[in-house]
Amino acid sequence: MSFLDVLEGLRFKKASSPIHKLDPRVKFALALSLSTLALAFKELLALIALFTAHVPLILLGGVIRQWARMMKGASLFAFFIFLTNFLFIHFHPGYAALSPTFVLPISMALRFLTIVGAFSCFFLTTSPDDLGLALERHLVPFTKWLIERVPRLKGAIDPYGLCFAFIASVRFIPTMVEEATSIVDAQRARGLELDRGGLLKRIRGYVPILIPMVINALRRSDELAEAMESRAWGAVKERTSLYELRLKKGDAIVMALTALAFAIAVYVRISIPIPL
Amino acid sequence: MTIIRANGLTFTYSGQLRPAIEEVHLSIEEGEFVLIAGPSGCGKTTLCRCLNGLIPHFYEGELKGDIFVTGLNVKDHSIRELARYVGMVFQNPENQLFALSVEKDVAFGLENLGLPRSEMMELIEWAMKAVGVYELRDKAPYELSGGQKQRVAIACVLAMKPKVLVLDEPTSSLDPFGARQVLEVVRKLNEELNMTVVLVEHRLDLAVKYATRAIVMNDGRIVLDGDPRDVLSSKEAISIGIDVPKVVKLYRALQEVGLTLSEVPIAAEEMVQLLQEVLKR
Ligand SMILES: Nc1ncnc2c1ncn2[C@@H]1O[C@H](COP(=O)(O)OP(=O)(O)OP(=O)(O)O)[C@@H](O)[C@H]1O
Ligand SMILES: [Mg+2]
Repeated sequence: MSFLDVLEGLRFKKASSPIHKLDPRVKFALALSLSTLALAFKELLALIALFTAHVPLILLGGVIRQWARMMKGASLFAFFIFLTNFLFIHFHPGYAALSPTFVLPISMALRFLTIVGAFSCFFLTTSPDDLGLALERHLVPFTKWLIERVPRLKGAIDPYGLCFAFIASVRFIPTMVEEATSIVDAQRARGLELDRGGLLKRIRGYVPILIPMVINALRRSDELAEAMESRAWGAVKERTSLYELRLKKGDAIVMALTALAFAIAVYVRISIPIPL
Repeated sequence: MTIIRANGLTFTYSGQLRPAIEEVHLSIEEGEFVLIAGPSGCGKTTLCRCLNGLIPHFYEGELKGDIFVTGLNVKDHSIRELARYVGMVFQNPENQLFALSVEKDVAFGLENLGLPRSEMMELIEWAMKAVGVYELRDKAPYELSGGQKQRVAIACVLAMKPKVLVLDEPTSSLDPFGARQVLEVVRKLNEELNMTVVLVEHRLDLAVKYATRAIVMNDGRIVLDGDPRDVLSSKEAISIGIDVPKVVKLYRALQEVGLTLSEVPIAAEEMVQLLQEVLKR
């Protein structure tokens, strides 16, 4: 699996499902709660429950194929986590008393998969546009708040600039992939060999690809700056936004359910011993 | 009303020995459609940059002479102020769209101006409809063809309701079909909204029929300026190496063998008509 495949797997695809329609902040809270709980529990049963909890979201969101791809990539890491835990317990007999040899390593691997799953669910069903909106919505007041407290930061942080950078970097991913492909093709046509020879030779092979990419990127940033200025970037202090995030009824319900489930889980963690 | 006026405009990019444009005198009336042509490096882009303040506020260098656009001295007004009066469309369609959807891109300039949402909605819809990209409003840039991107770029500046539209080789990366669509949109804005257009184009075959005036530059100076038919059929235009439309070349060739048509044709249909007239005689 190449790097581009992973990028492709993470790429948001437009779709309309109940999960896609949720407010990005609610989805983030969901992913964060699941991950926090996954870190709070180490019992196998609890982790199985947590892992299972995010599967319906994937199904409802209709992103099962991309999710599976991510999981495949993550399973290798999960296996390493399992292995290190297993060996650790094996060589430190003191730990074996805590839990049966296999159970804890499996739990730890599952913990990792739950976190990866929860966040890929978030990224796969949230449009970068929504992410940008959420970022703008909260980064701007946050910077204001921060500058009030630390006046030295004035002028050092530009929240609108940060949001723009985020959106633009997502926007230019397909352009850059396309560019990279055509540069590779052009250099291949001139006799560049990318998949032959030793590691060093291969790495050296990428130099004629990287140089045009870097030059293109530099030129792009110049042209972008020119075009942004020409469209009045920074004309007024408080930029407005065409769309605004608004919590809807469904968002509120999901948020309440998440909070309730989280509270119950915390209660269980504190007062009910889990056998495995 | 004179909408653009340049007096002895000379600009030298910093680090450069020779000025990129020199002693440019220019006066453009509201509603004109001005076509600018000239060999590579003659200063067309540089002149465009002077119209919306990229020179002297973005590009460093030495600016002499004066330039006024819609009555504003470009030297004294920032690019962002001038953006409300002059819309600039660049050559590369890719690097002037930043958002993840057409609609958001068209909104970009208005968001920068701090417009309230309701006002924005109206302007965006109007601009998208005017250039014929309304149906594409939810598309991401990578889902658009080059010609569509360039029309979106026009909508982006149009939404800010400028008085002048400056386009620097907007069709150079497009196929003839896309190019024609873009130029048709520009013509429509010129005719229906009386928007002043400054268009730099090397595809004269396509562009000349839309223009009310043609300017040829060479070596940083304006060397020809006038009616497109006169300018393009002049000896100088050919000696400078302008890519004169084929029908104009044919007109000149016929003239050399002693057949003078009643008018300089700038489109194939016109040529056909003129030839038919001659044949009837
Ligand atoms: N950013 C810059 N810095 C320094 N010199 C520049 C810059 N941009 C243009 N020049 C120089 O100014 C002169 C005029 O360039 P300009 O880009 O205006 O020409 P042009 O007519 O637009 O050419 P083309 O048809 O190739 O686009 C050229 O000699 C060019 O090298
Ligand atoms: Mg140019």
